[in-house]
Amino acid sequence: MEELELYALGALSGEEAAALQAHVAECGECTMKLAQAHGSAALMAFAAKQERPAGTIKAELMARIRANREEEDRFAWPLRTQAPGLGAGRAKMESDAKGSWWNWVLVPAAVLLALVSLGLSWQNRKIAAELQKERRAAELLIHDREEIEKLVSVLAAPDTVTVKLAGTGDAANASGVVKYNGKMGVMVYSAELPALPGGKSYEMWLMPTNGAAINAGVLRASGRVWGNLWTAEVPAKTEAKGFAVTIEPAGGVAQPTGPKVLVGAT
Amino acid sequence: MSPQGTVGDVTTDGWLLARIGKKDEEALSALYDRYNRLVFSMAKRILGDTGKAEEILDDLFYQVWQTAGRFDPAKGSLAGWLLVTARNRAISRLRGRSGASEELDENGVTLRLDVESRAAQNSLVNKVRTVMEGLPDEQRTALECAYFEGMPDTAIAEKTGQPLETVKTRMRSAMESLKKVLT
Repeated sequence: MEELELYALGALSGEEAAALQAHVAECGECTMKLAQAHGSAALMAFAAKQERPAGTIKAELMARIRANREEEDRFAWPLRTQAPGLGAGRAKMESDAKGSWWNWVLVPAAVLLALVSLGLSWQNRKIAAELQKERRAAELLIHDREEIEKLVSVLAAPDTVTVKLAGTGDAANASGVVKYNGKMGVMVYSAELPALPGGKSYEMWLMPTNGAAINAGVLRASGRVWGNLWTAEVPAKTEAKGFAVTIEPAGGVAQPTGPKVLVGAT
Repeated sequence: MSPQGTVGDVTTDGWLLARIGKKDEEALSALYDRYNRLVFSMAKRILGDTGKAEEILDDLFYQVWQTAGRFDPAKGSLAGWLLVTARNRAISRLRGRSGASEELDENGVTLRLDVESRAAQNSLVNKVRTVMEGLPDEQRTALECAYFEGMPDTAIAEKTGQPLETVKTRMRSAMESLKKVLT
């Protein structure tokens, strides 16, 4: 074990390290002990003077991740959809791509068709990346329309109930409203809440008459369907005794753990 | 551990990693917030350069984003993997060579301590610092040369003018003292 610790520290040299490495590769027990030795050696990291990196590093990391996701979506796009009528115009589109593609950008439906062919144009990465942004904007428009249709159907239904949410605790001045249609299993809600510190999120819950609380979504700015409204789908025909918003770790949790800031009973 | 992935009021690494595997950017953001200070501080101590340490940090978390779905919490601690991998890369960089790519689903690291909360990390920093300050100078020097400068025992022996076995004994004794923070 002591040799494993020296190995984990990187303090064994040449032949000794190689011999130990070869042995560990064949020995399950020593593999486990090496994992423990690495853990012990890692304690030395805590001996370093603690400093924070520049805030820009995180911003750059997240931007890199988003850019990578857009690239991945671009390459996956041709597998997900086939635009009707594309075949006839594809040859012409590809040959005219450099000259006439600006016109397609202006037409959202044409952008979707152009991306399938332009997705194959490996050499025009910058142009393709711009078009990808337009495609996502079009997708969001379509998604928003579906969400708004859901919203309208809930608001218009005669059996939709309205529950006002009142602020509690540190958010005494907060307020919210839930429009709930149990038959459809759809909630539409809005909330006015104070800003949260980093690492925390607001999360909406439906409290059924029987059973555990049902997660109705994290109140992210990006999740709003329109204005300050969110929608959520829950199991249809769930009888609700109330609704609540709690403060949870960023990203949300499966069951409420944090303090309530908005509550309302049906 | 409660089913929702929290212990007390802290979301576990395993839960965050599962969310990252589903491309949840907020989960990666939370994981970065949790460990960026530890990883950066150690990398900077090794490299003596802020920019290089930041590159190690950025690449490491980008790799987590790319390969989170392959991590098996049963095989080891994520925090341990982050620290070991960051150190390996920093040492490789110090030696002027590109480091091997350590996969998340290999090279398990067992870190038998809770380091998921800021309070736990601060407590461990204080404990480790106390132990290091209490070590005899020659033990502390040997340990720091090995860990922060990537020096093998032979190089430490040459640097300090001590016999090789003496250097090894000092490092072993230092590690025994350090491991007491695990109890």
